[in-house]
Parts: sequence; structure tokens; C-alpha cells
Amino acid sequence: MSAADQLTIDQSDIEKLNDKDKAELRQFFTNEEQRSRIQSQTHELTGICWKKCVASSIRNGELDKGERSCLQNCVDRFMDANLVTLKHLSKMRQ
Amino acid sequence: MDSDAVKKSIIRQALQATNSANARILIENINEKCFERCVPKPGSSLASGEQTCVTQCMEKYMAAWNEVNATYLRRIQQEIGNNAFTNT
Repeated sequence: MSAADQLTIDQSDIEKLNDKDKAELRQFFTNEEQRSRIQSQTHELTGICWKKCVASSIRNGELDKGERSCLQNCVDRFMDANLVTLKHLSKMRQ
Repeated sequence: MDSDAVKKSIIRQALQATNSANARILIENINEKCFERCVPKPGSSLASGEQTCVTQCMEKYMAAWNEVNATYLRRIQQEIGNNAFTNT
């Protein structure tokens, strides 16, 4: 189906969509938006936690035990700090 | 094209765009982080030790990405369970 991949969608194609498919597409894009947000947050967190957790010189392509648990802690503590900020912010608003 | 074909085509193109954007960002980050780590003092050529470091660093960075993603997903699900995002 490589030919179909090349097809561009124009206004007249959009008009062919029935209500069921429109609803399905809306759901698809809602999910995709969330997946994108999670992926971009993962990129950011990987950059932050890489700096903190993979400090020694690189001798192989695998994560060792210490690095793995450091990465897990790094993500969890980042989220903790995030929640502290949010909680304090809501206090400041009151 | 009928409705179903239009829908499938939109979905396919959207997935392709998102996935290639994600891969591009990952590669950019790997280049930046692994160059910084493996080539501290750029010489007149890329030494073989530096090349080995770059490939190992790449594998390691991808493993780190997967670990961070899994931990982050687990934590989000946990917070949704706790209603942490809606209560604050």
C-alpha cells in the first residue's frame, strides 16, 4: 500500500468521513496528543537524569544496576518535587 | 476513497509524522550527549576509542530513555490513581 501512503488528504476527502469515523479520529488524536506529551517529557527527563546518573566513563552499552536504580529514583524524585511545587502554588493562590 | 480509507490514511500519516519526530529528537539528544561525553577534546580525527564510546553511549542512552519512560508511565498511572493532579 505504498501508493496510498503518498496520497494527500484534501477537503473533499475529509467530507467523506462519516460520524463514526470522525469520532474515532477525534479519540485517536486525543490519545496521540497524550502520547506525544509523555514522549517529550521523557526526552527532557532522560536528559536531566542522564547527567545525574550516568556520570562515570562509558565502558559498555548497557545500564548497570546502580545507574538503573538512579534513573528510577531521578524520575520519581523529579515528580515529587513537581508535586511540591504545585501544592505550594495552590497555597500561594489562596 | 471511502470514509474508512480516509480515516486509515489520516491515522497512518499522523503516526508516521509523530514517530519520525520522536526519533529525530532522540537522535539529536544522543548526538549532543554522547559527543560531550566521548569527545572531550576533539582531535584531528575521531579516534577508534571515541568511536567505540559513541556507539556504546548511544545504546546506553536508548536504554536510559526506555527506563525513564517506563518509570514515568508507572508514576503517572499511580498519580492518576491517587487523584494527585486533580486535587492540587
